[in-house]
Amino acid sequence: MPRTSKGRQKLSMVKIENESNRQVTFSKRRAGLFKKASELSTLCGAESAIIVFSPGKKVFSYGHPSVEAIFDRYLTGNIPPTSGTFQLIEAHRHVRVHELNLKLTQVLNQLEAEKKQGEELDKIRRASQNQCWWEQPIDTLDRTQLELMKVSLEELRNKVANQAEKLLFQTSNPSQILPSTSTIKAPPFDSKYNGFNTNTKPYGYNHGFGSGFC
Amino acid sequence: MTRKKVKLAYITNDSARKATFKKRKKGLMKKVSELSTLCDVKACAIIYSPYDSQPEVWPSTFGVQEVVSLFNQMPEMEQSKKMVNQDSFLRQRIAKANEQLKKQRKDNREKEVNQVMFQSLGAGKISLQHLNLMDLNDLGWVIDQKLEEIHKKLDDILNNKDKKGIKTNNSQAITRPSSSASASVEHAQQQIGQMPSFDVNMEKMQRQQWFIDMMNPEEHMGFGGDDMMMPFGDNHHNALWSNGFFPLNWNF
Repeated sequence: MPRTSKGRQKLSMVKIENESNRQVTFSKRRAGLFKKASELSTLCGAESAIIVFSPGKKVFSYGHPSVEAIFDRYLTGNIPPTSGTFQLIEAHRHVRVHELNLKLTQVLNQLEAEKKQGEELDKIRRASQNQCWWEQPIDTLDRTQLELMKVSLEELRNKVANQAEKLLFQTSNPSQILPSTSTIKAPPFDSKYNGFNTNTKPYGYNHGFGSGFC
Repeated sequence: MTRKKVKLAYITNDSARKATFKKRKKGLMKKVSELSTLCDVKACAIIYSPYDSQPEVWPSTFGVQEVVSLFNQMPEMEQSKKMVNQDSFLRQRIAKANEQLKKQRKDNREKEVNQVMFQSLGAGKISLQHLNLMDLNDLGWVIDQKLEEIHKKLDDILNNKDKKGIKTNNSQAITRPSSSASASVEHAQQQIGQMPSFDVNMEKMQRQQWFIDMMNPEEHMGFGGDDMMMPFGDNHHNALWSNGFFPLNWNF
């Protein structure tokens, strides 16, 4: 996959002249800023508020426990009440936030795992590209190669269609026909071809086999 | 600066928490300042420490006042549209991460299915037994995609958009019906153009026969040396179409 961005650049602390860059920078940095503020709250129990106006004159704000609460405290000097009810509400909120943090961590870990798997797959692809001409980009192939590939692929497609038909009409053990839908986590990728992750999401492509199974 | 992954939970160790707070607060202020400068926008931050009743602010007491009053001047809806607290902010982040996860999984799946397709091309007799309907469906889709690409490229070649195309005459490897042995490019183009329907059955059959022969390495085609046909049990996809057999720069 080609590089989509320039990567980490050393930045001088002056206004970014290019309007588009400025907007992109704002978007990213604002998100990062709120993330840092959120982490500060979680890790240290700090209460804070951040207000940022965008180049487009919209206003973004973050507050913990809330922007209003912080404003109130700041402007009036009132320390938040410590009544029993209040404490209970706070406790509930803490629990909820804690659970959200756990969930976020979980999803981020899954994302990282999938990204790694993606890199592994890329590596494998690159390696086999060196050995098999038909894995090279179509643009690099000559006519004869293309013709050969075409025939092979058509033959393969027939095989696939036949096999699918076979499976469709298997009535002896229906549970073998239907793909499993229960698992969420993908098992580790088996780099040999006979390991197929059958639980990951399909394209939803209907190959003319019928409407039912995807 | 350590790069250990920090667990997103309240730091129970008092001194560690205090140290973390101090560092991160400083970093946060710096980030607000940078954002404000780089993007030429107004911003402010108010941070209450658990250790101090007085908050720390950026840019200054006056600066905060200014920004807060600007904020209050905005219509209520504008104020709340992009307002978040920890709860909503975390939910947003989770939603975004889930989106990315879904996309990454889809991409990975596509890569895998493509792999299966390429490997099936190579060793010919790869069993499709272990694939379920979903796999077969995806595989079929990917094959169709590839075929579409190939058709398009072939079309380009036919329309002479591509210099690589016409090398049809007298190939050793592919026997063609006599009619296409003609030297005229035009004629060859016509042949190719009508490939699917016209008198190519023989040619196609010959080619297919050739392919099938290729997939049965017991039959030596005599095209090349003995080292080219790998034993059938070899599961590596380069078994049959290795470089020795299909030199990339053919001379016809």
